Amino acid sequence: MALNSKSEDMFDVILLADDRFHVEGYREGYEEGTRQGLTEGRNHGGTHGAKLSLEMSFYYGFALTWKCLLQNSTEVNTHRKKLKTLETLLALLQSFPYDDAQYENLQQDITKTRAKFRQVCSLLNVLTDFREFVSTAGGLSF
Amino acid sequence: MSWVKSVPSSGDDVFDEEEDDLSLQNKEWRTNMEKRAKEGYRDGADAGKEASLQHGFNAGYREGAAKMVAIGQLKGILSAMQCWCQQQHLNSPLLRQLLQDVVKHEEAMVRNMEMEMAKLHPQANVRDVTDHMEDLAVWGADCASEEGDCAMKDCSREEGAEEGIFSSLSVCRNPTCDTFSLEQRLGQLMKTCLELVAELGLPEELSHHIKQLMST
Repeated sequence: MALNSKSEDMFDVILLADDRFHVEGYREGYEEGTRQGLTEGRNHGGTHGAKLSLEMSFYYGFALTWKCLLQNSTEVNTHRKKLKTLETLLALLQSFPYDDAQYENLQQDITKTRAKFRQVCSLLNVLTDFREFVSTAGGLSF
Repeated sequence: MSWVKSVPSSGDDVFDEEEDDLSLQNKEWRTNMEKRAKEGYRDGADAGKEASLQHGFNAGYREGAAKMVAIGQLKGILSAMQCWCQQQHLNSPLLRQLLQDVVKHEEAMVRNMEMEMAKLHPQANVRDVTDHMEDLAVWGADCASEEGDCAMKDCSREEGAEEGIFSSLSVCRNPTCDTFSLEQRLGQLMKTCLELVAELGLPEELSHHIKQLMST
């Protein structure tokens, strides 16, 4: 290292030592900081990802089941509009990558999906007390 | 007048004073360098954290999302079934009970996830301590010889790393056990749901979807 060179000016040696200690400290700090950042980020991300996934998966299961039930019912023809809206909701849920935290249209797509779900509920004549039950139980926020 | 007293106390030897001076300078230099290293550490820790936080968030986000797909869908399926039955004037206490169980299970899964996270923090602290110990060793080695005992150092490090893995495994064993039983319970709930679909005479298509969910 430069420190070993005898022709070095004393001043340079001091400055270099100063730098060296700073750099060594920095390197160790960086490693520890990276570890901490990954852990903390992972914890925060996990909670957010789980919450949104619970909500979106709920919509998916809900819409898919209704679709199955209406398609197989005796009065399919009276359910055309409901089925169409359900299809739109399912397509929305399938097309947007809600497990990607950095997806640029995340917020926009969440809003769209929630609105579509509300529309589905009103078309299906889902009772309000059911919605209350779900929202208190699952933490869905409309 | 105090200086008069201080002169005899430092002794007659002039060299002593110089030595004091030198060691004082040495001490000051060391303090400064330690300060520099600490500053560097702090800067590095901040930079490292900033650089990795988003990366960790994204990974955790994906993991958390993946964990909740099945239980979320199951709750949606059962909720829709309940709405349907209500509209058809079908009363199934079993369905109501199952939906409540699923809601409870969802809460348990969320709680379990939070607990696993809380467990990660003390682990990080243990790492902190071992890191500091490693730091000390590294500083000491720097002062002594550059090479020579490198092999020994590596050896002890490997041992330490192995210990780390084992201890983290034994720490993780409990939560994975919990996760396993949570998963088993989720499987049971899905099975009950499947039986209920058949019992209520609901479409085969729905059973098919639940089976798909069970296999993921």
